[in-house]
Amino acid sequence: MSIQEQYRSRAKELLREGTVKMVIGYGAGTTPLRRRPIFITSPDDADRLVLDAACRTNLAGYLLREGLLADQKSVAVFLTPDGVRTINILAAESQLATEQVIVLGFQIDGENARQLEGTRVADFSGIIAERKKKRKEQPSHEVARKLEQMTSVERFAFWEGEFSRCIKCYACRAACPMCWCRRCVVDNNQPQWVNTSSHTLGNLEWNLVRAFHLAGRCVECGNCSEACPVNIPLHLLNRRMTEEVLTAFDYYPGADEHQEPVLASFRKDDPETFIL
Amino acid sequence: MTKILYANDLTACFSLWRKEGMRVLGPVSKAKTSGFGEVQDAHELDLNLVLTARTLKELFFPRTEPMFSYSIGKQKIETGEFLPSENPCIIFGARPCDAAGMAIDDELFNWDYRDEYWFRRRDRSVIMTIACKESDDFCMCTSLGLAPDSAKGSDVLLRPLASGNGWRVEELTPKGGKALQPIASLLKEGSEAAAPTAEDPLLFDLEACTTWLADPENFESHFWKEISERCIGCGTCTYLCPTCHCFDIQDEGDTYEGIRRKNWDSCSFQLFTMHTSGHNPRATQSARWRQRIMHKFNYFSDKFTVNSCTGCGRCTRECPVDMGVRETLQAISTLQK
Repeated sequence: MSIQEQYRSRAKELLREGTVKMVIGYGAGTTPLRRRPIFITSPDDADRLVLDAACRTNLAGYLLREGLLADQKSVAVFLTPDGVRTINILAAESQLATEQVIVLGFQIDGENARQLEGTRVADFSGIIAERKKKRKEQPSHEVARKLEQMTSVERFAFWEGEFSRCIKCYACRAACPMCWCRRCVVDNNQPQWVNTSSHTLGNLEWNLVRAFHLAGRCVECGNCSEACPVNIPLHLLNRRMTEEVLTAFDYYPGADEHQEPVLASFRKDDPETFIL
Repeated sequence: MTKILYANDLTACFSLWRKEGMRVLGPVSKAKTSGFGEVQDAHELDLNLVLTARTLKELFFPRTEPMFSYSIGKQKIETGEFLPSENPCIIFGARPCDAAGMAIDDELFNWDYRDEYWFRRRDRSVIMTIACKESDDFCMCTSLGLAPDSAKGSDVLLRPLASGNGWRVEELTPKGGKALQPIASLLKEGSEAAAPTAEDPLLFDLEACTTWLADPENFESHFWKEISERCIGCGTCTYLCPTCHCFDIQDEGDTYEGIRRKNWDSCSFQLFTMHTSGHNPRATQSARWRQRIMHKFNYFSDKFTVNSCTGCGRCTRECPVDMGVRETLQAISTLQK
């Protein structure tokens, strides 16, 4: 039985026995190469689920849809290990209760989707610990290395150029499972703290606010870069932040649901290199 | 016999237009995206794109533009205007769906108030459209009552030659005719055949859709919730739409000195309809998606007798969660049967 078939029967079973009220997964898209998020509530519809290497969107953010988890019922969701980390962070930030989440875990290896054992987020702690180790050893992105070697003036010019394409559609915000604020700081308009204009200053303000707010929270799922209609390499900023907290605090976001947010917790041995 | 413009002569055309004080713009692929930009040489153009990622509307309705400045001093109050003052331009190589979008928005920007920012730029530009030889999986102009070689909104229509060496030139408006005068010596008489225009299959019954939308019974239909369940509420579809035209007015500065700007805004955003009281008449994403569809295929057509969608397909093409006008209208078509 293919992995897709296995997950279809698992989804059917979960819905039929009433363990979950909904399965959030992937379905066929407009073209053969596209997948789209789908929401299955009836066992008969489970055959619409698709699982293959084209299923790349992190679906975790849909769990925060207003009212979805309010009735204490459970929802099953297709998640990669980074998706599971997302759930852990959202739980640590009091946005959901992991008891209400059934994980349909999978991983993309090249051209294939591989099944991952486990049902609850805690079942994936081994895989996540393994990923942390790998992340530490992972060399910096090629462009990131070039950026590191630039002078601050050159680096500023690089980002000014990249951000100049920004049209402020906020697709990066909308696609990010970590952007769960009911009202984003840039939408606070009494007074308007952050410029809404997509001129140089406005674009820098937005993109830097976004990057800072994700420091120690981003799981590098890639939703933002994928969503950006003008292809700004947002992942470079996120990766830089990830590497920063990993090096300075040995912190890998989403390790488990009890992990304290790195920028909201204190340890006596925290490095204080910023204090001159 | 008809006039033919050969691709080899294009750069020479550009020089002749520049001599007349006109800028030349066209589709360019730059910095990992594509849109309309100023060019000097024909080689800078990317004429093989089915469609640029960004639309023609940005040339007339930029994503942000200053309207006026003010400064209030002890002695006097000063204001400054920022009406567009760019040189006239030739837009070479627009697509029929984008050009049609500009004609649709002309009506909007000249409805209860004539928008000088839009029309100063529109009046000083000539749109030379290239008919489509190819379409992709997202194109749907035919379903919207247009075609891969529609003339709507264009001043000159260019039909690609079957040989790939140039275009048959069709003058559509006096403005187009005037723009062709400086390059008259480069237009050759010929009878070379044009390449067949793109096949763009009919995807839905537009009339059935508009009839369904016009029925007040359907306004609260569960359909809206189901069709937009995965919408994440970003503004991609609206910002990359050739006809979406909503904007917000923002004052940047303080009480004594500042600039008033006109910025793109989107009905996809929660903030778009948020009242000062905190009440939001479009509180859910499904209500916002319904608004987008209703505006394009019901409210706009009520006012201007034309739908405000040209079938460019960008909403679906660029949607992070694979939604779009196409899926919605196809689904409504099915409901009808």
